[in-house]
Amino acid sequence: MCVLALLEKGDSYGYDLAGSLARKVEVADGTVYPILRKLASEGVVSTYLQESQNGPPRKYYHLTDAGRNKLNSERDEWIKFCGEVNGILERETGGKADEQE
Amino acid sequence: MNKSEYLNKLTNELGHMPYGDVKDIIQSMEEHFDEGVSEGRSEEEIAASLGDPAELAQEFKDGAKFKQVIKKRKMTDNFKGPDGRGRLFVIIFNVFVGIECWLLLLAAIIAAFCFLAGDCAIAGLIIAGLIMGKLTEFLVPFIFLVLTLVCVAIFLVVLLILGIKYYAKGLKSYIRWNKNIWNYGLGED
Repeated sequence: MCVLALLEKGDSYGYDLAGSLARKVEVADGTVYPILRKLASEGVVSTYLQESQNGPPRKYYHLTDAGRNKLNSERDEWIKFCGEVNGILERETGGKADEQE
Repeated sequence: MNKSEYLNKLTNELGHMPYGDVKDIIQSMEEHFDEGVSEGRSEEEIAASLGDPAELAQEFKDGAKFKQVIKKRKMTDNFKGPDGRGRLFVIIFNVFVGIECWLLLLAAIIAAFCFLAGDCAIAGLIIAGLIMGKLTEFLVPFIFLVLTLVCVAIFLVVLLILGIKYYAKGLKSYIRWNKNIWNYGLGED
């Protein structure tokens, strides 16, 4: 889901994605590649080659419409889930605050 | 670990994956190394940040397993009612090819049965004649004839047992194949 969200901002290539993901979440740089392969086989991302200014062509990843749908529904689910968990946590701290009063 | 050591280790760990997949993966990782080097990082540094090649290979393999599951699930998920094309194919194929083939094979088996019955009957008659002593004139040729007929009978019995066994097996998988197309379409998607 995080990889899909990164691709939502625009097409990108493996090295760049690996860097962005590893900077935000504590994972090895390599982790992104199996995920990208899996996403490509699911059809939620597509790939294409594009020349880079220096060096060999880069393999770019593009979020497909199916991927956008998947991302949106997963994001909604995740936000809902976090909201529920937060609700529970807040009530508990609220309860403690009541007890203290 | 430098680039080639890392890629070698990864290739070894990927093991039984199809050649095309391994090539694709190695290509991606090579690209990663090249990008890193062009940013001024050392190969050792990049290899270390990529993580353990064995673990990475396992993640690729898990992904491939997932791919197969997805494919299977797609087949059942995409199923939104009967596929007209698949059903039409099953009907046409059976009417013009399938049923004829199976009937032809069945006819061959029945013919072999009849042949076996005839063979046994002639052999039986000759043996009866020999025992009752009515065929004394051409004793040696008749004995040879009986031996030949017995050999043919044994050959036919073996052939029939195998034939019926594979006929049943083949028919079973043929029906399964038809059912699959009938239920899930031609499976092109």
